[in-house]
Amino acid sequence: MKSAFAKRESRSGKFFTIPAALIMLGLVVYPMLYGFFISTQKSNLIDEWEFVGAKYYIQLLTDADFYGTLQTTALFAACVVIGNLVVGLLLAVLVNQKIPLMNVFKVILMLPWLFPEVVVALIWKWLFNPLFGMLNHILFMFDLIDKEVDLLGQPGTAFAAVVFVCIWKGYPIVMLMMMAGMKNIPYERYEAAAIDGANKWKQFRHITLPGLMPILLVAAILETAWWFKHFTIVWLMTGGGPARATELISVDVYLQAFTNFNFGRAAAESVIILFILMVISFIYSRVLRDKSQ
Amino acid sequence: MTNLNNQKNRKQKDSAMAGTKTNKIVTRVASYAILTFMTLLIFTPIFWMISTSLKSEAVMFDTPIELIPSDPTLDSYVNLWSTYPFLTYLRNSIFIVSVATFFSVAVSTFAGYGISRFNFRGRGIFMSFLLATQLFPSIMLLIPYYKTFKTLNLIDSHFGLIIAYVSFTIPFCTWMMRGYFAGISKDLDQAAAIDGAGRFRVFSSVILPIAWPGIAATAIYAFIAGWNEYLFALVFLNSAEKKTVSLAIGQLIGEYRILWNDMMAASFFALVPMIIIFIFFNRYLVEGLSAGAVKE
Repeated sequence: MKSAFAKRESRSGKFFTIPAALIMLGLVVYPMLYGFFISTQKSNLIDEWEFVGAKYYIQLLTDADFYGTLQTTALFAACVVIGNLVVGLLLAVLVNQKIPLMNVFKVILMLPWLFPEVVVALIWKWLFNPLFGMLNHILFMFDLIDKEVDLLGQPGTAFAAVVFVCIWKGYPIVMLMMMAGMKNIPYERYEAAAIDGANKWKQFRHITLPGLMPILLVAAILETAWWFKHFTIVWLMTGGGPARATELISVDVYLQAFTNFNFGRAAAESVIILFILMVISFIYSRVLRDKSQ
Repeated sequence: MTNLNNQKNRKQKDSAMAGTKTNKIVTRVASYAILTFMTLLIFTPIFWMISTSLKSEAVMFDTPIELIPSDPTLDSYVNLWSTYPFLTYLRNSIFIVSVATFFSVAVSTFAGYGISRFNFRGRGIFMSFLLATQLFPSIMLLIPYYKTFKTLNLIDSHFGLIIAYVSFTIPFCTWMMRGYFAGISKDLDQAAAIDGAGRFRVFSSVILPIAWPGIAATAIYAFIAGWNEYLFALVFLNSAEKKTVSLAIGQLIGEYRILWNDMMAASFFALVPMIIIFIFFNRYLVEGLSAGAVKE
């Protein structure tokens, strides 16, 4: 038997939560199921609807190009996420020191977060421009090259360049999370360690890192999900080229749907991305649980 | 006695520190070196953006390039208002993103409070669902939204885009607010409830006034997410007078002749609202987030 109090509690909880729950149901759950439905149809989304079952899934899973795209995406996401975590963590630790000017650096280092992705992509693209860009100019100035380099024009360098730009844009949010996390680590611990003669590295290794572990793992999950489905910066900088070197899965879905009007196949790809991300987050949460025990 | 102890402590500390004095200097020098390098890396593109925006077309496409324009001109900035309907873009963006942010934060604040305070059936499912939505490829919603909006005649409408932005931001905002409320002691609610205030009164007159840092941080997050969004705007908006700033700037690059100076001036203007927001709300960010999203 539920007490009257528990009943009232439950009613209040529902009262506060129901608007969000209904909106999520309408704006996320329903479209997702609908997307799944579309992935089983050969359709132009207007008047042509033909059930084709798992045809697009089979097509995708037997397509070498699709695996190539997946591989590119996985490598891209891994590089960007690791880069963001390392840079974000390092900078958070640095600006967290009690030495002069750190408040200034805290503000400066957050700046890339404020840049719209479109703006980030365009500025860097222009900076990398082989003829009129600043990068080549500087490289010439220091005699580092004798012929202009087109970073975005060659497969290998184009990939490295977009990864670099995405880390430039992406690390501040990790830094912010780490700064927030470090506020929860009591300062006395560092003082005690300093008295015991532990150097900065040891303090980082034995106090900061373990203290941040749970937040670091949450950040890793979110970051992986965000960058695995990234679209804007790469699309605007390279369009997926050259020679498909930067063709991420989101770029492919966009092209399939809105250039080739192959909506069923695009929807099937989306479902596969979702599945992959679920598997990844399952693995992460396993690691998370093992670590916290 | 305490005094003596303190002195002893300090002595111990000092001797420990003395051994690591050089170590400390090395750490400091290395820290400043890394931070200075990062600052350069951040300001280089900003510098290049501003420098380019002050060049005429002839100077911009001339080699060797001028890092600092010898003959700066504000033509590109004037062009934004005369050649392109940039004011319209700016107004569109501010309208769409503000409405979406307001709506998301309102709903998320309610939901965040609900799941942080009460036990009810469905709470667990709702919470894991919130996290799971972070995994959904937004591109997965793109196609069904496209179809639904077509049917409902919401293509090329600001209302459609607002709906899409709300769907992105509610889950993360709710998660942030939940974390923030969890950091506010429940005793406060109980004390007010004992005084006879109803649940909603407790929320609106006791909890809400002290939750401002969390709400501000959540709102900034939602606003930046919306302001940055490109893909949905690209698919859903077509007519020139409906475009958002991000979309308009992004599409300039698709043109045959790319006017980088105009584009850089536009980029500069796209940044201004972000920087204003950041200046005003900067201090809430870490505070709001510290209790919020990062806590499991």
